[in-house]
Amino acid sequence: MNAWVVFRKELIDALRDRRTLLMVVLSSVAIGPLVLIALSALVVGIERHAEERTVLAAGIEHAPTLRNFLERQTYRIDTAPVDYEAKLKSQSLGDAVLLIGKDFEAELARGDVPLVEIVTSSGNQRAGASVNRLARLLHGFSSEQATLRLALRGVAPATLDVLEINDRDLANPQSRAAQLTSMLPFFVLMAVLYGALNAALDTTAGERERGSLEPLLMNPASRLSLVIGKWGAVAAVGMLIALLSCFSFLPAQALLRSETLAAMFQFGLREAALFLALLAPLAAALAAVMMAIAIRCKTFKEAQANNTVVMLGVSLLPLVTVFNQSGEAPWHLAVPALGQVALMNRVLKGEAVGLLDMALPLSVCALITVAGVVFVARQLRSAALR
Amino acid sequence: MIEVRQLAKRFTQGRGKKARAVQAVDGVSLQATDACITGLLGPNGAGKTTTLRMVAGLLVPDTGQIRVDGIDVLREPRVALARMGVLSDARGLYPRLTARENIVYYGRLHGMSDSAASQRSETLAHMLDMTPLLARRTEGFSQGERMKTALARALVHDPPNIILDEPTNGLDVLATRALRDALRRLRDDEGKCIVFSTHIMQEVERLCDRVIVIAHGHTVAEGTVASLNAQCGGHDFEESFVKLAFSAAERERV
Repeated sequence: MNAWVVFRKELIDALRDRRTLLMVVLSSVAIGPLVLIALSALVVGIERHAEERTVLAAGIEHAPTLRNFLERQTYRIDTAPVDYEAKLKSQSLGDAVLLIGKDFEAELARGDVPLVEIVTSSGNQRAGASVNRLARLLHGFSSEQATLRLALRGVAPATLDVLEINDRDLANPQSRAAQLTSMLPFFVLMAVLYGALNAALDTTAGERERGSLEPLLMNPASRLSLVIGKWGAVAAVGMLIALLSCFSFLPAQALLRSETLAAMFQFGLREAALFLALLAPLAAALAAVMMAIAIRCKTFKEAQANNTVVMLGVSLLPLVTVFNQSGEAPWHLAVPALGQVALMNRVLKGEAVGLLDMALPLSVCALITVAGVVFVARQLRSAALR
Repeated sequence: MIEVRQLAKRFTQGRGKKARAVQAVDGVSLQATDACITGLLGPNGAGKTTTLRMVAGLLVPDTGQIRVDGIDVLREPRVALARMGVLSDARGLYPRLTARENIVYYGRLHGMSDSAASQRSETLAHMLDMTPLLARRTEGFSQGERMKTALARALVHDPPNIILDEPTNGLDVLATRALRDALRRLRDDEGKCIVFSTHIMQEVERLCDRVIVIAHGHTVAEGTVASLNAQCGGHDFEESFVKLAFSAAERERV
C-alpha cells in the first residue's frame, strides 16, 4: 500500500523532469533507428560499388587484348587521372588503378610475361576493396590466355585445373545481417541504463541532498515499502525506455534504403517482445544496483561519479565475446548485460532462444534486485542522518 | 503528551585509530503536556537535535525511555509516529511537485485517502495563510514558503503531538511571526502538545509556556521563563540562560 503511494509519487516526479527525460528518450529512441539507417546507407554504398562494373586503368591503350577481355566481362574501362598516385594517397580516389606497361601487347604475343601493376594504398580502405576484384579479373584473363595456348598445343585445359572449387555459404540471410546489426543490442542496453540512471540517483542521493529523506523516514511507513516503491518507479522508467527503444526499430525498418539489409534485418513484433522480455528484468536489476551505490553518496554528483563503475561494467561486459575467441560459453548467460546481449544477438540471428536460456539471466537479475533493494532499505536510516 | 526519561546517546566519530566517542546526549529528561508549548533551549551542540531525532524514532538511544501518549517509541515506533508531526532540521521538499502534492504525499503515507489528504491540505493552507501556494511547484519557494509547506506536510495527519527542530532558522521577522501565531492557534484551538527547540532566547520568552534548558547533553533546568529567572535571581532571561547553560569556566573564556 505504502509502496504503491511511493511508486506513484516517484514516477510522477521522474516523468515531470521533462528536460532530462526528453534527452534520454530522444537519444534512446532515436539512436537505434539512426544506427540502422546509417548501416543501410553503408550497405547501399557497398552494393553500388560492387555493382559498378568499371575498371580504372592507366595505359589500357597498350593492351587491346586485355581491353577486349574486360569488355567481354561487361566492364567499362575508365582512364585513370594523371595524378592518381597522389589521389590514392589522399583518399580522394576510391578505386585501385590498373597500370599497364607500353610493351604489354608485344610481350604477350611473344609469350613473355608482361607485368601489370595494381596500384593502391593500404591506408585507403575504399580503394583496397576493389583490389580483389581487379586481381580476380586479371586472373580470369590470365587463365583464359593460358587455356587458349594449351588448346593450340592440343593439351586439355583440365590438366591445369586439378581442383574444382565451389563456395557454399551456410549463413542464412538473418545471420549475415547480424554481423552488421550486432551492435544494436548494445545501444538498446545503454539506453536502458541511461534512462534509469537519473531516476535512480534522484530517489536516493538526490533525496539526501535535498534534505527530504529525513522527513520521509518520519512517516509511519516501513523502510522496505519506501524502497520498494522507489525501486519500482526507477525500474519502470528503465522499462519504459526499453519499450520505446525496442519498438522504435519497427517503424525504422521502413526507412531502410538497402533492400538487402531490409530483407536480412527481420525485426518484427516477436523480436521486439523478446528483446523486451530480456531487457525488463535487467532494467529492474540495474535500477537496484544504481540505487544501492547512490544511497551511500551524499550528493547527486558524488552518486553520478560512483555510478560510472556500473556504466563501465555494463559497457565492457558485452565485449567479453569479442576478446574471448572461443565463442559463446554457457556461463555468459549468467553474467548480467553479457547474457542479455548474447541472447539479443541470437534473436537477431534468427536462432532459437529457449525458455531455459531466458530463465538463467532472469533469475540472476531477480537475485541482484532483491539484494540491492534490501541493501538500500538497510542503509536508508543511516543515510538520512549523515 | 511526550515523556522522555534519562535519554543517552553516544556516537563514534571517525574510523580506525582516529575514532573517538562523542557523548551527544547524556541524561536528558523532559515532559511536554498537551495544550502547552514546551521550549527546548540550549546552545549549539547541546544535544537538542539528537534528542528530538530519538523522540521521532530516527535514532535508537543507548539508554532511556520515550513515551508519546503512553506509547513506547522504542517498541512501537510506527504507532508512535502516527501520533507525531515532526518538522525536522532537514525540510527538503520535492521541487517538481506542487505544495499540495507534497502535503498529500505525506498524508497518503500516513494512511489517509487521497481526498481526505487533499481536504486537510486546504484546511492547513488556510490556517498557515498559504492557500495561493498550494497549486504552485515548490521549486523557487522562499524560505518562509518552504517552512510553511514543510509544516503543513508534518501536520497533515492532524497529530496530537508536534515537534519542531529550530523552525525559525532562516526565516525573516514576518515569517517568524506568522509561525508563532500558527503555533499559538494550534495550542489554544486544538490543544496540541508542542515541543520546539531553539537557541534563541526571544523565541522562548515570547512563545513558550515551559522551558527546558539543555546543555552538555543533559537537562540542567526546567520551568517557566519567570521561574527560571527567579531561580537565577535576575530579570533578564538571557542572563539566566547563560548562568544555567554554561559553566563558570566557559563564561570566563568569553
